[in-house]
Amino acid sequence: MMHSSSHSNARSSIFASIRENLAKSEPFNEEHQEAKSEPRTGVLFVETNTSEVFRESLEMVGAKCTFVENEIEAADRLRSIVGDRSATEIIVSDSELVHRIVNAAGINAIQDASRDELFSSAIGITSAQWAIAETGTLVLESGAERHRLASLVPPVHVCIVTTSSIRQSMAEILKLMDPDANRAITFVTGASRTSDIELTLAIGVHGPGELYVVVIKDQ
Amino acid sequence: MSTTHATSETFDRNARAALADPVLHGALRNLADSFVVRRRNAIASAGDWEDLRERARSIKDETLLHLDEYLERFTENAEKAGSTIHWARDGKEACEIVLGLVRAQNANMVVKAKSMAGEEIHLNEALEAAGIEPVETDLGEWIIQLAGETPSHIVVPAIHKTKQQIADLFVEKVGIEKTDNVDVLTQTARRILRQRFAEAQVGISGVNFGVAETGTILILENEGNIRLTTSLTKTHIAVMGIEKVIPKFADLDVFLKLLPRSGTGQRLTAYQSLITGVKNNADDIGPDELHIVMLDNGRSRMLAHPLTRQSLACIRCGACLNACPVYQQIGGHAYGSVYPGPIGAVITPQLFGLSKAKQLPYASSLCGACREVCPVKIDIPALLLHLRSEIAEGSTRESQPTRKLGESIAFRMYSRIWSRSGTYALSIRAARLAQRFVARNGKIGKVSGMLALLVPPLGAWTERRDAPVVAPKSFREMWREKKK
Repeated sequence: MMHSSSHSNARSSIFASIRENLAKSEPFNEEHQEAKSEPRTGVLFVETNTSEVFRESLEMVGAKCTFVENEIEAADRLRSIVGDRSATEIIVSDSELVHRIVNAAGINAIQDASRDELFSSAIGITSAQWAIAETGTLVLESGAERHRLASLVPPVHVCIVTTSSIRQSMAEILKLMDPDANRAITFVTGASRTSDIELTLAIGVHGPGELYVVVIKDQ
Repeated sequence: MSTTHATSETFDRNARAALADPVLHGALRNLADSFVVRRRNAIASAGDWEDLRERARSIKDETLLHLDEYLERFTENAEKAGSTIHWARDGKEACEIVLGLVRAQNANMVVKAKSMAGEEIHLNEALEAAGIEPVETDLGEWIIQLAGETPSHIVVPAIHKTKQQIADLFVEKVGIEKTDNVDVLTQTARRILRQRFAEAQVGISGVNFGVAETGTILILENEGNIRLTTSLTKTHIAVMGIEKVIPKFADLDVFLKLLPRSGTGQRLTAYQSLITGVKNNADDIGPDELHIVMLDNGRSRMLAHPLTRQSLACIRCGACLNACPVYQQIGGHAYGSVYPGPIGAVITPQLFGLSKAKQLPYASSLCGACREVCPVKIDIPALLLHLRSEIAEGSTRESQPTRKLGESIAFRMYSRIWSRSGTYALSIRAARLAQRFVARNGKIGKVSGMLALLVPPLGAWTERRDAPVVAPKSFREMWREKKK
């Protein structure tokens, strides 16, 4: 580990350099400038149907989105995703919503997967605490979704969200976040991708190559 | 590591070599078509783009003018959430801190997520020298690590390589069958790097934004390797430039709109990780320790002048590289720095010393394309001129630049002839006559022989670029004819 004396030396000399150089700068204004954090135009358009916008955004990033009426229909949908792929190794996060639907679908799934199970799994199922309509983004909070690796390591990610968790914009979502309660917050928009070879799009480089989103309409 | 890398000192030579490299041009040809077009389409979906740019810049300006306060706040909140903050005055100190942390975990291998700060301090070389294997996990970074090269672009590090070259590299280094299928190449990387992720204990990443209000670090990516690096490992080390701090959590909105659109032409990259300290629940996944290494390395010096301070607003999107006519022709390696392109020409001399990168501020036609696309409105041409004037002042102090005798006589002659309208008109008429022998399609190509000697510096000018011809009629002549 570091010696505390050299640590405090580096810290204090960096701060001294910052203050010294700022003081040299002309003109230096001690006053805080109010950063323009609010948009000048306000909200550009009010979209009433966030669910529809969410669906369009998801399609734009290549995710497959299905709206269902209730958890029973969600279980049907889940069964067909799993059945289509004849997948056997399925891992789930600790989300209660996910557990209810997986049970209703009669699917055998592993919770608390070991590293080996994680790396050999075919499908990961999680929920998302929030969703952003204008970008098609899923928001997973560590407080509610501890086993977020289920959304990352398997080649297929199925995410279950409810319509009441969808918000129009990133700005709204950031206001809802509590980073102290949720030490890791993950935003997911579409499948894993890269353009590192000749700027050619390739899907599923380190994360899932397929993303299914099942949206349950709240009553 | 290979030692044949170009340096900033040899920029002129590097650029000439790059211009003569047809394979490089093949690799770079996608850049303008694809990134520039994608960006243009993406910013159309952002609403009031100018307003976003101005807001981003005002947030950065406020932060930089009070950087000490915001760094104190960031440190306090990050520590409150269980992060350990380290301070590094320069690259060497930063590497030593990282080495100490890796050794404390008894790790002989680390997985790395792409980090420009890590490249800047040559962290891989330091790790290798200490017997620790750094494994780059970003596809582009992994490719150049296999090839023993340095990144040539801030966002797409292997842009200088063609798919054929990458395929050959994979055949040689990881023993796959030759293929030109990008999906097969990508899945090869996935398969091999998965094994490394499964055994990794320590992960090293960079930081895109550090939020003072909450002590949160935000990292953006598309591949998922950063999520793996920061959640599968026991110890996460993040190297963060001191200029990466922003005041408020809500400020992230503006930057999350600007950065993906400017960088890759996306509305949002596939993943954002917002990490605040360490897990507060033993059942949670994720590292037990988060170490944030705060890096100065010449940054605090840039605060001293309102112009140079602008350089610290950079969010490393790479848009200025993609838009730059010079970068499009010569690629990133010619700049001899981890930071290439227009922004590289600005920050390389400031970070590593003007004397080491004297030619870089001249590697620009000052066309202003970089300033136009910059999401935080950095006036790169003004900064280049500022650095040029510093270089010029420095060189008059050190030693008078030696201009060739012929050249100085020529310039004295031009100034005499062109300061009187009669002799000026005469010279233009003479040029019109003379250019008949050398002009093709309205341009003057390479000029050599007598004419080059008689009309300096025409020979030097046309050696690597065309000169425009003198117009058949001047404006004054046309004006006179109109009035008749």
